[in-house]
Amino acid sequence: MKRKMNLAARRLAAAWLLLLAGCGHGAAQGGLPLRIEISHVVGDAPLQLGDSYKTAAGDVWSAERLRYYLSNFRLRRADGSWFVNPQSADSSRGYFLVDEADAASKQFQIGPLPAGTYSGIEFLVGVDATRNGAGAQTGTLDPARGMFWTWNTGYIFFQFEGHSPQSSDAEHALTWHVGGGTGAPARSVFLQFQSPVEISAENSAELHLHADLARLFDGAHVLHPATQPTAMDAAASAEVADNSAGLFRIDHVHKLPKAGLAAGL
Amino acid sequence: MKRPALWLLGVPLLVVVMAAPLARAMIAAHATPRLQVPQGWPAPRYDFAGNPVTAAGFALGRRLFYDPILSRDGSVACGSCHQQFAAFAHLDHRVSHGIGGVNGKRNTPGLFNLAWQPDLMWDGSVHHLEMQPVAPMSNPVEMGGSLALAVDKLRRDARYPELFARAFGSPGVDSQRLLRALAQFTGTLVSADSRYDRYVQGREAFTPQEHEGLDLFRQHCAACHREPLFSDFSYRNNGLDAAPRDAGRAVISGRAEDQGRFRVPSLRNVALTAPYMHDGRYETLEQVLDHYAAGIQPSPTLDPLLAHGVPLTAGEREALLAFLDTLSDENFIHDRRFAETHD
Ligand code: HEC
Ligand code: HEC
Repeated sequence: MKRKMNLAARRLAAAWLLLLAGCGHGAAQGGLPLRIEISHVVGDAPLQLGDSYKTAAGDVWSAERLRYYLSNFRLRRADGSWFVNPQSADSSRGYFLVDEADAASKQFQIGPLPAGTYSGIEFLVGVDATRNGAGAQTGTLDPARGMFWTWNTGYIFFQFEGHSPQSSDAEHALTWHVGGGTGAPARSVFLQFQSPVEISAENSAELHLHADLARLFDGAHVLHPATQPTAMDAAASAEVADNSAGLFRIDHVHKLPKAGLAAGL
Repeated sequence: MKRPALWLLGVPLLVVVMAAPLARAMIAAHATPRLQVPQGWPAPRYDFAGNPVTAAGFALGRRLFYDPILSRDGSVACGSCHQQFAAFAHLDHRVSHGIGGVNGKRNTPGLFNLAWQPDLMWDGSVHHLEMQPVAPMSNPVEMGGSLALAVDKLRRDARYPELFARAFGSPGVDSQRLLRALAQFTGTLVSADSRYDRYVQGREAFTPQEHEGLDLFRQHCAACHREPLFSDFSYRNNGLDAAPRDAGRAVISGRAEDQGRFRVPSLRNVALTAPYMHDGRYETLEQVLDHYAAGIQPSPTLDPLLAHGVPLTAGEREALLAFLDTLSDENFIHDRRFAETHD
């Protein structure tokens, strides 16, 4: 009985907090959520799991699995100030697990954003250190999703598994797992909008991001399956981590009327 | 005059009648351990504020700890390797012995005062108490399953959904609740009632031999096995091997200077947790003292404190062993609240 009342009281408090947060950040200022859609590509063509691709050096690779976390979104306003996407300690709100094999995971919303003019977007490929060491989580951060290292506990930030005839590993496997550790924080990405994006009470925007897997091999570092068939700890995967942050670019942005958001267009 | 007095007599009666369920609730609450910080101890590292211990939550954690349902084929429970009479170590097992009878490579440590440990495991590979069970559950030579598999089995079980709902106030079985319930059990395993503790609190006297042992301990051992937790939780090489087979801490830190370093283990309940060291190589405390006296193997990562070993006379050895015996906490290993068959 006592516990039930406590729970009811806690729910009420939570509801109030939500209401207050809503007022402060979005609703009252007429903001809308921002939609983000991600396409995995190789150069200009859509990535196909299982297909073979060639690097600049002539190495051949294919992808079987591609999963990663995106989190800690911030939007830069024209005046240089930031809108910080809300994250909650009690849920995985604001932490997105993108999976090439799951279409729904490649489309999500952040915000609601206060009405205004925005010039760019920033996010982490992975999970921030605080949350990474915060104990049992739910939702996208549920360790049962398999994006979690047990031999050195923490999230797998970025997971790429495939094959390459050049790989010296058993069955020519290519296994790159990026994770955090002391001195290995999640990499941060900032993308400048080509032209300012307006968010108002009537109109939001949809951001189409392309993640170009060719840049995983030919990025800030040139990676060869022959010499690096596996990377399974923070030290070994440092270069893969750098390259994972270089995959993203804004393909295009389009206006999204409120009605379109509601209809889930 | 008389009537009000009579009426007043009824009040305490009424209070007693009304208070009976309350009293029962209080007794039930008392049966649930709380994380009390013993006098002179540092603040715990695990914060129960995010996972408040309740009677139903603790009971669920205890049930899960002793239930082989968490392993792939239902054959191994946490309690199979962590036995209460051995202060939750695995008596007589050099290294862990898990699913299908396969051996692991490390010795099973005792479980107590875990809420004070900054990291867990011999190499510090687990950074949060709640996340620790994911390691044995998914280790192919321990419980052989996975967190997702265990959650799925619990969801389909006849009893568990109701026990989870009772423990967390709403229906739902998920990995967070599973891990938090286990932490309510493992995190409240506090051992702070040994003869040593009662001596420190001035409640019990030491024999002259135990006194001498304590002095020797403080002189030769306490720099690493620091009171009151009997560990400083650093990673050190105490000279077991010239060329360590298990890289230890280096696997986690990636640094060469951590080769062969392991976490300094607590020595509380040490007389109950044989065999000893990360690979369980010593069966007795006498062998451990032989090692410190004359068996130290030099290597680039050997701790300088042990460069010359710890030679002791026969009498000093006896005294040190007598002192180590005072670290056994009989009340802890007999505490019915932590037992598989509890009250
Ligand atoms: C097959 C035997 C086995 C089983 C089953 C097992 N453990 Fe362990 N446990 C070990 C070993 C061995 C270690 C030390 C591992 C290491 O350091 O690499 C350990 C370490 C631990 C530690 C860390 C202690 C410390 O001082 O750092 C905790 C906590 C723990 N186990 C709890 C559990 C729980 C909870 C379960 C059930 C979900 C469980 N164990 C199941 C063998 C086992
Ligand atoms: C330089 C730090 C250091 C000093 C000094 C030291 N130890 Fe240790 N001790 C360790 C470390 C590290 C381990 C774990 C080593 C391993 O398993 O690889 C350990 C392990 C032990 C163990 C095994 C415990 C278990 O649960 O397996 C015992 C017993 C022990 N020490 C007793 C002593 C005694 C008694 C002294 C004093 C004579 C002493 N130690 C001095 C660092 C130290």
